[in-house]
Parts: sequence; structure tokens; C-alpha cells
Amino acid sequence: MIGRRAAGRAALLLAAVFAATASCARAGHEIVFWQFWPAEVVTPILERFEREHPGTRVRMEQLTWQSGLEKITAALASGNVPDLCELGSTWMPRMLDSGQLADWSAGVADLRPELRGWELCTIGDAVYGIPWVMGTRALFYNKTLFARAGLDSTRPPETWEELRAAAAAVHRLGGGVSGYGVQSGERYVLFKKFMPFAWGNGGRILADDLRSAVFDSPENRAALEFYVGLRSVGVMERQDVLDRAFKEGKIGLQVSGAWLFKSIPRDAPGLRYGVALVPRPERERGTHASFAGGEVLVSFAGSKQRQAALELARFLVRPENALALAASAKSVQPAGVGIDTAAYYREHPDEALMVRQFETAVPTPNHPAWVDMEAAIEDEIEQALFDRKTAAEAVAAAQQRLAELVGKR
Amino acid sequence: MSSTERAGVSRWLWLGPLLATMLFPFAWMLVVSLAPVSGGSLARALRGPWDLGHYRALFETAAINRYLVNSAVVALAVVALNVATAALAGWVLGRRRVPGERWWTLGIVATLMLPKQVLMIPLYLVLARLRLLDSYAALILPFAADAFSIFLVRQFVAALPPELEEAARVDGASDWLTFRRVVLPLLRPALAVVAIQSFLTNWNSFLFPLVFIDSDRLRTLPVGLALLSQTEHSVDWGFLMAGSTVASLPVLAVFVASQRHILSGLLAGAEK
Amino acid sequence: MAHREPPPPGTTNATAWLFLSPWIATFALFGLYPFAFSLWASFTDYSPVRAGGSRFVGLENYGRALVDPAFWSALGNTAVFVVGTIPFTTALALGLAVAVQPAFRGRTLFRVGFFMPSVVSVVVLSLIFKGLYATDGAINGLLAALGLPQPAWLNDPRTALPAIMVMDVWAASGYYMIILLAGLEAIPRELYDAARIEGASAWACFTRITLPLLRPTLLFVLVVNTVRSLQIFAEVFVMTRGGPLRSTNTVVYYLYEQAFYRFDLGYASAVAYLLFVVTLGLAFVQMRTLRTTPEAAR
Repeated sequence: MIGRRAAGRAALLLAAVFAATASCARAGHEIVFWQFWPAEVVTPILERFEREHPGTRVRMEQLTWQSGLEKITAALASGNVPDLCELGSTWMPRMLDSGQLADWSAGVADLRPELRGWELCTIGDAVYGIPWVMGTRALFYNKTLFARAGLDSTRPPETWEELRAAAAAVHRLGGGVSGYGVQSGERYVLFKKFMPFAWGNGGRILADDLRSAVFDSPENRAALEFYVGLRSVGVMERQDVLDRAFKEGKIGLQVSGAWLFKSIPRDAPGLRYGVALVPRPERERGTHASFAGGEVLVSFAGSKQRQAALELARFLVRPENALALAASAKSVQPAGVGIDTAAYYREHPDEALMVRQFETAVPTPNHPAWVDMEAAIEDEIEQALFDRKTAAEAVAAAQQRLAELVGKR
Repeated sequence: MSSTERAGVSRWLWLGPLLATMLFPFAWMLVVSLAPVSGGSLARALRGPWDLGHYRALFETAAINRYLVNSAVVALAVVALNVATAALAGWVLGRRRVPGERWWTLGIVATLMLPKQVLMIPLYLVLARLRLLDSYAALILPFAADAFSIFLVRQFVAALPPELEEAARVDGASDWLTFRRVVLPLLRPALAVVAIQSFLTNWNSFLFPLVFIDSDRLRTLPVGLALLSQTEHSVDWGFLMAGSTVASLPVLAVFVASQRHILSGLLAGAEK
Repeated sequence: MAHREPPPPGTTNATAWLFLSPWIATFALFGLYPFAFSLWASFTDYSPVRAGGSRFVGLENYGRALVDPAFWSALGNTAVFVVGTIPFTTALALGLAVAVQPAFRGRTLFRVGFFMPSVVSVVVLSLIFKGLYATDGAINGLLAALGLPQPAWLNDPRTALPAIMVMDVWAASGYYMIILLAGLEAIPRELYDAARIEGASAWACFTRITLPLLRPTLLFVLVVNTVRSLQIFAEVFVMTRGGPLRSTNTVVYYLYEQAFYRFDLGYASAVAYLLFVVTLGLAFVQMRTLRTTPEAAR
């Protein structure tokens, strides 16, 4: 009897000690971090963080781009959310509207001047994330084809007219070669390839207060006419097919992204190519606008380690850490202001140009119905590309749909 | 004998070209996996020298072996459970042993009719509640009974002559004995097909293993391959094709191994 | 063993329920809740990312789907897809099964070869075909060599869906061939021998013996192929994203966009249940018409 009671008390003591040590181990912080980049790139950065914060471990889980969003959605639905998560800028408008993101306004106030891209994670005055890396689009051109067409391969086109002329010259070479790679109806991609021209011409989508649509404008109409006109000196295809054709040396120019910096050396090591800012309408008018997107680090209202997550996020966006990621991935660039002065970018002028392109890149409006708006714009541009509507009709139709959506949530 | 040979030659004539078209994408896959630099272009892949570089890179990635093992464990467990549950349920349904059997069958088939994109989130909620997330159980238990397999066996049973079972019953055998001694051997072809299709579906499954598993040590092959070869905008073709070629081998092995079970069906009538 | 009188065939007893219980248990644990949840969600504005509860909206989601032209175009495309692939897949699968069933040299090679398209994951297969269908891809290369016109395939609203349909028939035939093969192998040889003795032709053997005895398996292939084809998604997602001009938008792709880009799972569930009703109706009709009768033309 006594033996049993003593054993019982011993067991209880043991359990208490066990619980205490277990919670001590948890108090040493384990941050669950979900992100999309390869482990070999991110793990060294995380190890540096762990060395700076002894007692803290980071459990990194890599997501795939295919269906990664489904996983994040399921986690949010069940409350089983990570502490720190990487989100793509396209998902941000809905996420911002959801009320599930942790408010970091106070925690990141001092970082405001050092990074760009805050509009991706800001609604009103409240900030719900930190911009980590940015991605944009620029003009890629094939120097060998330029030379063959009698163009100066050190002087890429700077205006729309020069772009059309260059594309026409390359297109005339024939033999399976096309001048310009026109992106044809591909959800969530077409928008990024067309809008730079519209934005560069001064066109807008929504008014600044996000309460009305201003898409139907002469600037946007002119841009769409120009874009549709490029078909006659180019080829219409999906993005990865265009990229492949560009690498095979069959396309003279196309607007594409920094991922080519990584895949060209891998798939087409001998290709001589150059990068330039997206051409503007005229030499003295308009801007070299492009699409501004990127990856944002957020924490969720239901995350267990929000404070530790914020510290990890602040660590990750430090110039040297973001640069480590960008230098390896190449498809993105750090969000840090002035990062193009870093030694890495002095050695890689093409990638530095991407950073310069951000300065005139335009973010998409943070309207909750943004996904529908983007789909509406893409549908109408497609109608014009397939000659079902004229540019003016397409822009007007898009305006009408945007006006309906602007009122909705 | 010679008529068989003649039949063979004529079959080759018109099946051969069809076979060639069916095999062409594999040839594509194999060629791209052997070309060091191709960017996914067949022309470029055919031109250059070939080497096993991508396969070497594949197996030097330590994680690949782990992914292979995880996929194998999960797939084999699901196959075993599917074959068992399909044999049992399929027989009972095929022999009309439950009232309203047709409605049962329709109901079971109906569970295939809601797309997984919609079922995924509530299933995740269930697994979270049962604390099964991030474990083998999450990839095995929900798929233990498969409507496709049950329906297949049920149809197969419906076409089997009932005389053998009746004979066994007249001899006094219980249900279980009848099932084990008489029915199961007759079901071998159907169960072989269940095994093949079960293995295949599970081996290549992507969405559920991605969503229900967090830890890299439990990751399955399709997810692992995507992580290693696909970024948001570009694909490492050589690596992906090498990985896919390797991934097809176990399925082919299961298929070839199960062929003799499918062929054995023709003994059904002879065994008296 | 005590000599018990076995139950006559067709009666229900404990064994029957016992044999059915694994399926019942699995469904009760992992199937019932997802189905019930989705049904509930279809009557609400449930969004997986929104904090806070969901509002009951009654039939609003269903109403919205039924007036959305995008939904109807998706349904139309899906219908075209189903009607345009099932007959060909079934016929091809049956033809192949009959062709590779008898013993002949290289039979296993053909069986494995025809099955191979099913072996690779559908995503990888779609990636491969995306390259093959490019305007400067291998398929057009072959057509050019034969002097035939080369369409833009996935970039032309008229040819995009047919291109995916052809790929589907090509990929699925081998899969259903295996199933029909198993069914063929189960037909007793004596029936054919007896018919041969009575002087029946090969065609008569096929229509009077093979087809009727294959009916249950054929029904299976038909129902399962219909159910799967109505849910076509991965090929569309990888190859065309529903375009160009929404010509390859299918019901499941449509609801995927609603669920994961608009995070409106309530509406997506309503669309899913609309598809469910259509699928169930079709399966019911198929099972009715091709009633499975165990005895056949013996």
C-alpha cells in the first residue's frame, strides 16, 4: 500500500519534472518556417540565425510552387499555421483582406526606409508583412540575332518604335526565327507581360482610392493596340514555350523574368543575350514601367511564435541574407533599397538591371477582388489578341467588368 | 502453332505503329534525361553526346532514397489494404448479399464523384483533429478502402458463374471458407488489376502527400522531385525526366509481376 | 467442425456486413465528414482563409453558378470532353485488349507498351505534351514532314480542347485495356471451343460470347471513365490554364480557381455538388442501361 502510494507520488514528480523540462525546451523557441526556395540555399542562412540566437531552432519546411498555395490554405483553415510563412505577392490582396495576418506595423517601422515593396503588404497604415525579395520583368534580347539582322547589339530598343523596328528586322530573317515573343492567353502571366506597356504609357487600372476603375483610357488603348500589333512581327505562345524558343535562339526579343539568368546558363550556355529596361512609348514620354511582384514574409494571427517569427523575418531581409538568396536563385532580387551597389551586382550587370527596373515598376492594387479584376483584364486582352474584339472594345469591356467588381468585396 | 505465328506477324503489322506512338513520349523522356543540356528540347537532346549525369545527380541527392522508401512504404500499405477491402466488399456486393445492393454500389461509386480539390480541406481538418497529420497514417488510412477497386471486384464477381460457390456451400462450407478457398482464387485477375491501379494511383499521388506531410523525412517521391526540379517559372528538365524515368520503374515492375495473375484467370473453368 | 447449414446464396447475414465493414469504417472516418462539410459549405460563404465564422447564404452559391456564363462554358467544355473521349477510349481499349489477349510473340511487350502512358504521373505527361504540342514542337514537325498543315494546337481556341482530348484518349486507353483484359481472361475457353465446333465465325463469337460476358467489365470502364473525365483538371492546369479564351476551362478547373485564387470554398463546393449531381445521374443511367446480369448467352 505504502509502496504504491510512494510509487504514485514518484511518478507524479517525474511527470512534473518531465513537463517542466519539456516546456523549457519549447520556451527555447522552435520557429516553424514555410518557404519555397531550395533547402541548400536557405538552410545556411537559417543556421546563421540559430547561431545568433542560441536556444532557438528553425524548422524549415519547403513548399512546392505547384499546389503550395493549397497547403497554406488548408493550414489556415485548420489553424495549424506555421510561425513564419513566405507568400507570393499575387496572393496578398486576399490574404490582407482575410484578417489572418499578424499586424507588424510597430515591429517593422524602423525598416521602412531600407526596403521597397511595402505596398505589397500594407493596407491603409497597417503593415502585415515584410518584403523579402522582389521580382519584375524586363526586355531580353538575342545579341546574335541582332547582329544578323544588322542591328547594334549594344543598343537595345528604348522606345516602342525602336522595339517594333528591331522585332521586324529580326522577324525578316526567317528560317524559324521570330522577332518578338508575344505572350498569349495564360492566366496570371499575360497581365504581367502586357501591363508594363500600359503603365509605361501612363495607363492605370484603379483610382488611388480603389473606389473606381479608370482602365478605359487612351493610354491603355494605345498600349493594347501596340501589343496586339507585335503579333505581326512575332510569335504567340505560352511563357515556358517562349522561354525555350528564346534559349534556342529562335526569338529576337521578349519581356520575361530573371529566372532566365539561371536557366540560360544551364540550358543554353552559348546564348549571347542582353537585358534592357522595358521600352517606353517615346524617348521623352512615359516610363520604363514593369510589373512589381515579390515574396513577402508574414506571420499569422494564429501562429504560436509571432515575436520570434518577426525576429527571423528581420534577419532574413538583412541585405547580406537576402542577397545570398537572390544570388543563388537569380529569379528574384533583394528588396533592399540601394542593393544594386553591392559588389555582387557590380559583377552581374544584367541582374543589376533588374534591380533598376524595380524603380519604375508598378504594383497591383490591393483590392480584395483583385484576382477577379486581373482575370477580367486578361480575358479582354485575349479577346483582342485573338481578333475577337478591337483594342478599344476590349479596353471598354474590361472597364465595365472592373467597374462592377470595384464595388464588390 | 503456325497459325499463332501468323496471327503474331499480322498483329505486329498493325499494332506496331500504334505501340510506337504510345512509346514516343517515353523515348522523349529518356532522351532528355540522358542529354546533359537540353532545356527540354528534343532536337537539342538528340544532337549532343549523352551521359548519365542527371541520373548521377539524382542519386547523389541523399533525399531521393528517402523519398523512394517513403513512397514504397505508403504505396504497398495502401495496395494491401485496397486488395483486402475490395475483395471482401466486392464479393458481398457482387453476390447481392446486402439489401438494396444496387444502391450500396451506387453510393460507393458516388464517393468518387466529388473532386479532391474540394475534399482536400475538410479531410485535412479531419486528419488534424485525429492528430494524424505529418505521418504515414495520413497517406494510408483515408485510402484504405477505394471505391474504384470495390466496384471493379463487384463487376468481376457479377460475371463469375456461381456454381462453384454453390457447390462449396452444398458441401457445408461457411461463408468465410467459401470465400477463401473458392472465390479468392477466381478473383486473382481482378485483384491483380486492383493492385496495379492502386499502386499506380498512390505512387504518383501529389496533392495529398504535399498537403498532409510537412516533414522532409516523410516526403514521397513526386513531391520530392517537384521540390528538386521545379521552380516557379522554370523546370530542370534533365533532372525531372531522370527522376520520372526512375519513378516509372517500380510501377512497371508491379505491372509485369501481376501479369501472370491476370493470365491465370483462364483456369477458372477448368478447375472442377 | 460442427456441420452447420450454410445460408442460401443471396441472404444477408453477419458475414455480409462484416465484409462490408472495412469500407464502412473508412468512409465513416475519412469520407463522411468531407462530403458533409462540402455540402454545408455550399450553403455558406465559407472561406478557408477568413478568420471568423461563415454566413449561411442558402441557395445563393447555386444560383450564382447557374447564371455564370463561365460555369456554363466550363460545363459545356467538360461535356464535349466526355462525349469526345469516352467512346474512343473504350473502343480503343477494347480493341487493344482483344488484340493482345491471345498468345503470340511479343505479347508482353505490347501489353507493357500500351500500359506505359498510364505509368507516368499526369503532370509530367502534361509537361511533355505541352512541349510536343508547341507550334514548333515535335508533332508539328512530323506534320510538316508529311506536308500537312500545322495548327497552333494549345494556342488556338479551336484546337486546344481537341488536343487535350487526343492526349487523354492516348493516355487512358492502355489503362482501361488492362481492366478489359482481365475481364477477357475470365471468360471460359470452352464457350469459344463449343461455338467453334458449331461453326461460328470470329465476329459471331465476339458479339455473342465476348461482349455479353464482358458487359459488367465494360460497364465498369464506362462508369469509371465518365466519372474521371468529368473531373479533368491536371492536364488543363499544366497545359493551358483554362485558356485560350477559356476554351479549355473545365468544371473542376473553374472550381479550383474559385477555391484557391478567390478563396471562396463555399461557392466552389456548390459547383462541385452541381457536378456531383450530373455525374451521379449519368452513372445511374449507365448502370440502368447496361444492367449487369450474371448469366449470359451460354
